[in-house]
Amino acid sequence: MGVAHRISGERGRKVSPAFAVAKGGEKMKPQSHDDVSRIFDAFCKKVLRNEVRDYLDEMNRKNNREIPFSALPVEAMEQFSSYDRYFTEERTFRILGCTVYVDDADLAEAIAALPKDKQDIILLFYFLEMSDYEIAKRLNILRRSVTYRRNSTLKLLKELIGGNADEQ
Amino acid sequence: MNSKQNYSRLLPYSVIQAAAAGEAVAVNVVLEHYKGYIAKLSLVGGKDPDGNTRVYADDELRRRLETKLICKILTFRVE
Repeated sequence: MGVAHRISGERGRKVSPAFAVAKGGEKMKPQSHDDVSRIFDAFCKKVLRNEVRDYLDEMNRKNNREIPFSALPVEAMEQFSSYDRYFTEERTFRILGCTVYVDDADLAEAIAALPKDKQDIILLFYFLEMSDYEIAKRLNILRRSVTYRRNSTLKLLKELIGGNADEQ
Repeated sequence: MNSKQNYSRLLPYSVIQAAAAGEAVAVNVVLEHYKGYIAKLSLVGGKDPDGNTRVYADDELRRRLETKLICKILTFRVE
């Protein structure tokens, strides 16, 4: 009889026969209301501890992946911003079916003040980056006159813009 | 530890039964019972750049714990 009751528990510990049925770690059937209270207590505490760990893990994950706006490099910040372009009507020029937008206000004003044929040459050469030869073909004039008009228009522009600068 | 002290630290069976069934009053009793433990768990400590240890109560964590506890109480099976 003695041999039959010597059941060893976890880690080779000898367990007395009375407790041999319910080893530790098994789902225990609550015997009394007092047991329920203890199981409930352990359950609540475990829930809370696990939730704290979840929360801290989450915070760590966020910290590793998130960068505050204040720490962003300027280049990255610029991607999020957009600038409204006002008065675009005054600064856009239509030429041979293309729309040319001039960023600088003074320059746009000066170009707008030019006579139409000179304006075209400046826009085609400097903004659409066409060669004198291409411009001459498009406008049905000699290449030589394109070059001449371009140079003279540049001088005119310089005067116009210089005049503005002096006024300011 | 005498048994009287032991009892005072555990919630009575009737309360657990009612809380698991979703009774608001009982759930509140349970929350009140674990208030101290939750407050203790909500203390978040860390070292700031100066190397000083700084411990503060994380209110967000405290609220999360309360919410979680309420959710889990309702899943508790009273045999």
